Amino acid sequence: MDNFMSLKIKAVSENEAFARSAVAAFCVGANPTVDKLDDVKTAVSEAVTNSIVHGYENNPDGVVEITAILSGSTIHIEVTDTGVGIADIERARAPFFTTKADEERSGMGFTVMESYMDSLSVEPNEPRGLTVRMSKDFAASKKATE
Amino acid sequence: MKVSHKTVNNTLYVALCGEIDESCAAEVRAKLDALFEEDGLIKVVMDFAAVTFMDSTGIGMLIGRYKTLKKKGIPLLISSPKNAVDKLLLLSGIYEIVPKING
Repeated sequence: MDNFMSLKIKAVSENEAFARSAVAAFCVGANPTVDKLDDVKTAVSEAVTNSIVHGYENNPDGVVEITAILSGSTIHIEVTDTGVGIADIERARAPFFTTKADEERSGMGFTVMESYMDSLSVEPNEPRGLTVRMSKDFAASKKATE
Repeated sequence: MKVSHKTVNNTLYVALCGEIDESCAAEVRAKLDALFEEDGLIKVVMDFAAVTFMDSTGIGMLIGRYKTLKKKGIPLLISSPKNAVDKLLLLSGIYEIVPKING
């Protein structure tokens, strides 16, 4: 079974709940456990928050695009923006790293995505912006790290 | 995000209700910091039983509240998080500084 959805949202934080709920609702077709669905919801929320807060620095003119493909029991999610991007992706992915410590940011966004999903890739866009790709197999038994 | 509160024996109990993400973090922070101004507080307990969703923005907000209270010498505790919220709190390691207590 292959199915997909695509969503474009204005880069405002009020849209985060809509984005994560839409992806979660789309996943229901693959019969995920409640725990795994919560993982996906949280990971999507992290990626979309990153685009809004860091990519567009809260400029509401930005657009965040969320695409999800359901392939068998695996969900593949792509979150893309055309914001400022990340200068040092490896550093940004390190736990607790944040460029906005004065705003009480935890610096945990990528750590959450990484530990809640089976795979995560973070790549710059041409000419600007960032694409986060992550996937999770709803049929797989729990990860060994859990 | 709804924030309700009561003070019993100098302990401030704050119950959060709803979803915690970027869209409400600043508002929750302001509400909590205003409550923390109360005189004579010896402890703050945040009840998470009705929090249905939280992402890492909530962790940042919590660490900030911990720091605010620490300056006043007031310990912060968390009670009754749902599974998904508990998982995130555990991952963040925040229980080491903001312990979890049972409802």
